[in-house]
Amino acid sequence: MLQVLIQGLLLSGLYALIAVGFTLIFSIGRVLNLAYGAYLLIGGYAYFYFTQAIGLPKFAAVLLAAVIGCALGILKFLLIVRPLRGNHVAIEISTLILAVVLQSAVVLAFGDSSKILLPIIPGVERVAGAAVPYSNLFAAVMSWVILIALWIFIRSTHTGRAMQAVSMDAKGAAISGIDADRVNMITWAISGTLGAVAGVFFASYTQLYPGMWVAPLIIAVAVVIVGGIGSIIGTLIVAHIIGFMEVLVSTYLAPELRGIFTMVLIIAILVLRPRGLFGREEL
Amino acid sequence: MALLEIDKLSAFYGKAQALHEVSLSVGAGSIIAVVGANGAGKSTLLDSIMGLTKTTGAVRFDGAEITGCKTKEIVSRGIGYGPERFNLFPFMTVRDNLLVGAYTARDDIGKNLAAIHKLFPRLAERETQETSTQSGGERQMVSLGRALMSSPRLLLVDEPTIGLAPKVCLEIADVLRRLRDEFSLTVVITEQNANFALSLAERVHVLETGRLVAEGRPEDLANDERLAAAYFGH
Ligand SMILES: Nc1ncnc2c1ncn2[C@@H]1O[C@H](COP(=O)(O)OP(=O)(O)OP(=O)(O)O)[C@@H](O)[C@H]1O
Ligand SMILES: [Mg+2]
Repeated sequence: MLQVLIQGLLLSGLYALIAVGFTLIFSIGRVLNLAYGAYLLIGGYAYFYFTQAIGLPKFAAVLLAAVIGCALGILKFLLIVRPLRGNHVAIEISTLILAVVLQSAVVLAFGDSSKILLPIIPGVERVAGAAVPYSNLFAAVMSWVILIALWIFIRSTHTGRAMQAVSMDAKGAAISGIDADRVNMITWAISGTLGAVAGVFFASYTQLYPGMWVAPLIIAVAVVIVGGIGSIIGTLIVAHIIGFMEVLVSTYLAPELRGIFTMVLIIAILVLRPRGLFGREEL
Repeated sequence: MALLEIDKLSAFYGKAQALHEVSLSVGAGSIIAVVGANGAGKSTLLDSIMGLTKTTGAVRFDGAEITGCKTKEIVSRGIGYGPERFNLFPFMTVRDNLLVGAYTARDDIGKNLAAIHKLFPRLAERETQETSTQSGGERQMVSLGRALMSSPRLLLVDEPTIGLAPKVCLEIADVLRRLRDEFSLTVVITEQNANFALSLAERVHVLETGRLVAEGRPEDLANDERLAAAYFGH
């Protein structure tokens, strides 16, 4: 029981971090960034490359992965999203294609066999019969720290309030002197950064492989669909629902079913409550 | 001296033309009104001044051309806008709505908030209320407050009395006068309510299907048949 609780908490923290970067883009640009999982892919591989191929310190490698994710987010905004402004279907299709292209690039550079990341912090703690790797604990704690920092940023800085404003009323934001393009670019930058960092943690949770952008994307989509248009609090709640259900399913039913549960949940919510559990347009 | 000069301004939505060569000028420190029936182009005129529509012609503010400027640039030069449907941020508190208005005027936040709370004591009481739960009158106050947070010299207000009870209309009129007298703001309002416009403004311009058809002082226009015609047809 305690074991489920601990594993649920750890996994949910990570899921919240994975989802929040995706939710941000959805609530501000109203567009599903289907290449979101690719940030995690690139972040994970960048970390692998910098630590295990080049031998940089782990902290520096996480930072570099974050910088690459940030750059990727900005590039994607400038090269795809802004030129296609308003054409959501085109943006979504191009982002999906981009994800597949990035996957091939990773295969080309690193091969298609999976890689094990050395733990960020080695060691395991045994709590009530559950083995809790320090890495996972670190990932969960960092996820929470990042989410809280993001929440404070969005609530109490001019840029953060501008992001909320653009998401709630574009004309109102414009006549307040906010340049929506700039706010969008900042949001894509933040999203890319969060995705890449989440990728480092996600890969150390599971393993590094070229197809690893799909699972996080499904989690992120599920959070947006189940939570309604993304608020950070809603994201947290839904990430915990999904995280705990997955742990419960894999503990008491079968580990193979855990991903399936998330997908069934998406479809069920789409059918039963198309606007999500907390359907309001808030950040 | 004219603070705002509009010269042969035309506005377009796709191929449809909503304003036809509108020219008018607004002296510093005055309140002027643009009146017209539904669809006359009042909102389009104000949107166009803010750079939100596709236009030809020229708009000058304080001697400098602002035609083609980004809305952000126009706001920072000193034009505040209270639009017809307010366009507030529904799930933000009153206070946060006002703070967004300060995006381009961050050094004046304390001063502007104090002034707005003095003008609208209700907003001080309701600081933490989400605007989605507010009444129409309260939203109008937040909308005006948000515009004032950008430290404007010119305030544009689209139909300040729309949907409001007569008592609230009088309050709003009083606030607009105080903004002119105490804060030396210049104010442009649009109105369907011609009586309100005539009682408040120093000059009134009559807009009919995208064209200015008459202008003058309220006492001269009150019995002008062109004012009536703009509403009731010929
Ligand atoms: N976004 C738009 N797209 C297309 N046409 C528009 C748009 N907005 C306004 N129009 C048209 O432009 C003309 C002027 O509209 P506008 O909203 O400026 O009038 P108004 O005087 O503000 O009317 P009201 O008193 O109803 O607010 C109308 O014919 C309207 O249908
Ligand atoms: Mg209008």
